[in-house]
This record gives sequence, structure tokens and C-alpha cells, in this order.
Amino acid sequence: MGLPGLEYALPVFTDPLVIGLIILGTVAGVVVGALPGLSSSMAIALLLPFSLYLDPVPAISLLAALYCAGTYGGSITAILINAPGAPPAAATAFDGYPMAVKGEAGRALGIAAIASSSGGIFSVIVLLFAAPFLARIAYSFGPPEYFALAIFGLSMLASISAEAPVKNLIGGCLGLLIATVGVDLTTGVERFTFGVPELSDGIHFIPVLIGLFAVTELLSQAQKLGQEKFGVRLSAVKLPSLDDLRRVKSTILRSSVIGTFIGVLPAEGATMAAMIGYNEAKRWSDEPEAFGKGAIEGVAGPEAANNAATGGAMVPTLALGIPGSATAAVILGGLQVHGLRPGPYLFDEQPGLLYGIFFAMLLANCLFLFVGLAGAKIFSRISLVPPTLLWPTVFALCFVGAYGLEQSVIDVWVMMLAGLLGFVLKRHGFAPAPIIMGLVLGGLVESSLAQSMIIFDQQWTGFLGRPIALVFLGLASISVLWAPTRAAIGRLLPRNRRTA
Amino acid sequence: MKHQDTYVGVVLLALCAIVYWLTTGFPEVPAMLSQNVPPTFFPRLIISLVAILSVALIFNGLGKSREIRARIKPAVLITASIIVLAGVLVGLLGTLLTLGLIAIALPVAWGERRWRPLGILAMGLPAAIYLIFSAALGIRFPPGLLLDWLL
Repeated sequence: MGLPGLEYALPVFTDPLVIGLIILGTVAGVVVGALPGLSSSMAIALLLPFSLYLDPVPAISLLAALYCAGTYGGSITAILINAPGAPPAAATAFDGYPMAVKGEAGRALGIAAIASSSGGIFSVIVLLFAAPFLARIAYSFGPPEYFALAIFGLSMLASISAEAPVKNLIGGCLGLLIATVGVDLTTGVERFTFGVPELSDGIHFIPVLIGLFAVTELLSQAQKLGQEKFGVRLSAVKLPSLDDLRRVKSTILRSSVIGTFIGVLPAEGATMAAMIGYNEAKRWSDEPEAFGKGAIEGVAGPEAANNAATGGAMVPTLALGIPGSATAAVILGGLQVHGLRPGPYLFDEQPGLLYGIFFAMLLANCLFLFVGLAGAKIFSRISLVPPTLLWPTVFALCFVGAYGLEQSVIDVWVMMLAGLLGFVLKRHGFAPAPIIMGLVLGGLVESSLAQSMIIFDQQWTGFLGRPIALVFLGLASISVLWAPTRAAIGRLLPRNRRTA
Repeated sequence: MKHQDTYVGVVLLALCAIVYWLTTGFPEVPAMLSQNVPPTFFPRLIISLVAILSVALIFNGLGKSREIRARIKPAVLITASIIVLAGVLVGLLGTLLTLGLIAIALPVAWGERRWRPLGILAMGLPAAIYLIFSAALGIRFPPGLLLDWLL
């Protein structure tokens, strides 16, 4: 059985602009991923306004390539300076840095590149088969099912971070609330516009996400000023041996499956996939005691999983319009600003675009293997860029990105306020990703709920007659109640043991 | 001392009350036009959810002792001020001059004292932004009152 949509691959692989942008996205992704503090979500948010100057296929290909390569790029600084360039690479540092300290930085980087690339390719192949299949199922979905699905996606925010399920849900609700600003499409009534005409069209999510991702991080970096970074000098890139590859092949395969599955779940992203990939690599290892001291499986496991999550995350994003991760939410926003509504009908209307994105991701996953291995030495120096010079440049890009969208200074203020608010929220344990998810899904949630209520004649019980919606709402209830139930059981169990 | 989550929950509850009050100012829409889904329906539903979750946050905080967090450094406050100042200055000095000034102010506030890279950044950043975004992509940046007055 051949890959589906191969006929759409040819225009992608023969268009010099698309190829050039995929290469640019790959290199930029590795660079951004390698810079501590900068993430692929942030870079995509910054690029999004400028991608409007491109056609949808090259624009989204650029963003998708950046997404794939950025996830790998985080491993470079995780291995060399024990500072993950991006959160999904946090688990890579557990064994990658000890390997670098032992003088095996090149081996660790090589394993990371191969595992990341393999995980990414595996997940894109799954994406190629699963997304059209899921889209076919979604054809039968009406507004109640879409509402229930979006609620399920938002409910999964509760499990993004085990420490703050309530805060993640509040963040998601805040995003939904921000999405209500502007004219209500059903009644034409202005909501929360305070007489500002620019707010009638609503708060555009791009300035908000630039603010929440980039300006918040700028302020966080100011808080971290003066912290010393200890790194390992990379003199030469010694590639992993064939024996190394034989040792990690089952870890890579297992983590690829785990990462893809975690990525497919709405809201669950690469960070969780990497943590589970690391734990499973350790659990299945013959030498679990070597983990944390420089085990190559400890690098391969999380790296294959976090890159596999990127393809997995694109499955619900493209097939259902429900983002599989924070970065996928930004890409979903990118599709929306290009006038496209991801979901089953996109497969009929724009198959070239969708398969173009799939093959762009496939190409990016192959490319960064070479870019990562060949440029590891150069990329390792990127972390040496002084933050005092890097962050003003990032701020300038935030400024121009927010302004460039509508050429409106109001958007710049929205970006700044979102950044300041994001910093305050972050200090109190609220992550930006749930707010973005809520904001991106806000329109879908409100419109599908309004349509459902009209269909059901204002009776909430109408959902009881829709089995698919009921399943999603049931899953949503489980995901919301899972964490408090587990915590309550955890609190009760020791007490029972004591009384026993 | 209570855990910070308790206070955050109380603040969120107060915000919910304010936002709910704001929804009372939405114009009334005939039921036929709104198809029985008034413009207040969804925002109030979300506000109610946030209020419930805020109560959960308050109870969550009551069971925990106060978390010790690093104080906000002066550099953060200075950076935030520079960000806000950029928004104010852009109307007066225009985007490119403002970004040039930010390219000096921000690094200096963060302790950078190497004047050569600072100078390169202050000149190079606005120039690059002009060439890429204005000349190539056609974005028209606000010139600012100063440039308007000079021209």
C-alpha cells in the first residue's frame, strides 16, 4: 500500500519557493529551538503575520517545518548546556548532558537527531493515513458533536500539567471569554468593546499569542538575568556508531508510537510525550540504573517521542479543527487567517494544501537530520548569543508582527497587555497554552453551542440523544475529574494505611 | 499566611463579578432575532465556569502552605516599563526610531555595557526592519508626530 496523496507531493517537491521555505523553516526551527527561552510556538506566532504575504501552501509548509525542526532544536542546548531550548527537550537533558560531560556530546546530538527524525517521520506517515480516516468519520458530525469535541479538547487541558489542572481549565475559559469580545455573530450585539471601534471585529488572536508567548518570555528572561550557564564545549561531532543505533532502535520505535498517540490527544503535546517516552525507555531498559548518568536510550526515548508528537498533534488539528498541542493551535490559527477552516471538508476542498503540509512535514523531518548533524557545532554556539542583544531583537519582531497584521497600533497594545498579563499569570502558575487553546477554539465552541441549543430548542437534554457527543462529553468529564479523583485517592490511601 | 492560590481565586471571583456586571449592559435582543440564544448566554456560561473553578482554586489553596517565590527583580519592572513606553513613543517618534531606542534601552537596562554591539543593534535593527518589512513586504509603519512635524 503506497502513501496516500502522493500525487500532491510532486507540486510541493518541485516548487522552489516551497522547498526554499521548508529549508528556511527547518534551519530557523533548529536555531530557535536551540535558543533557551525561544520556542517553536513563539517563533510560529512571530512568523504568522508575515506568512499572510504567502499563499497558504508555502506559508503553512514554512510553519510546519519550523514546528518539526524546533522540537528537535531544543535538544542541542539540553545536551550541551543542560538548559533545554524548549520544554519538550527537558527530558533529553537528563541523560544528554551527562553524556556531554563525559565527552560524548557529538554522540548524544547524533542520537537525538536520528531519534527525532525517525519519530517525526513515523508520525507523519501515521498522519497521512489517520487524518483522512478521522476526517471521514467527522463528516457525520453536526454542531452538537463539534461542541462536545471542542469541550473534550479543552477538558484535556486539565491533564497538560498535573500540578495545575484547575488553573489550566481557568486559562482555557479565559481564552474562550477573550474570544467573545466583538460583535456577536448571531445577534449583531457588541460585547466587551467599551466603545473602541477596532474591537468590534474581536481581539485578533495573533497579537495575543505573540504577547503570551514572546513578551511573557521576555519578562521571564529579565527575571532570570545573572544566572550562570555552564556548558560543554563541542570540539567535534562524533556520530553514533552502528552498535548505538542497534541499541536504541526498539526505544525509538516504542517512543515513536507513544509520541504519536500522545500527540493525537487534543491539547497533549510534545513535553508530555517526551516525559512518557523517557520513563518508558527507562522501564524497558536492561540497565535502568544507567539512566540519569548518560544512557543513550535516555536521549533517544524522549527525542523520538517529542518529535512524533508533532505529527500526531496535526491529526486532530487538520482532520477535526481541534488542536493537538499549543503549537498546533498556532498553526490552526495560521490556517484560519488564511481563510481556511480545518476539518473534514478541507480534505475535499483543499486536498493539495493538506497533503502539501503533510509532505512538507515529512521533508522537514528528513532535512533536520542533516541540518542537525552537519550544523550541530554551529548551532551549539547559538546559545552563546548574549540575551541582552537577542531579546531586544525578539521584542522588535513582536512589535512588527503584532502591528503588521492589520497595521493597527491597537494590536501592538493588545500584544503588550497580553504579555504583561501573561507574566503575572505565569508567576501564579497559569500557562499560556490553555489561554491560546481557548482563544483559538472560542468561535467554534460558541457557534456550535448556539446552533446545538437552537436544534435542541434550548434543552440541554438534547445532547442525550446524540451518542457521539455523549461519548466526547463523557471523556471530557473523565479528563476533568481524573486529577482531583487521583489526588483524593492519594490523600486517602496513606491515611487508611496508617489506620490499618 | 494562606497559599497564593487562595488570593488568586478571590481575585478571579471578583473579576467574574465585574465581567458578569458588564454583560448586564449588553442590549436586549428580541427572542426571535436571537433564536433564544441571547448574546449574554455564552459569556455568562463561561463566567460561571470560571467562578466555579475559582472556588475550587480557593479550596485548593486553603489546604496548602504559602509557596516561597523569588521576588520580582527590578529588571522585570524596568523591562515592563520599557515595553509600555514603546507603545507610547511609537505615536510620537514613529516605529523605527522607537525600536532603535528600545534596542539601546533594553540591553542597557539588562546590564549590557559594550557600546559597539549596542550601536550596531540600535542602527541595524531598525534598518533591517525597514528593509524587510517596509520596503519588501510593504508594511507602512506609523511615522509618528515628530516625523510628521519635521516633514
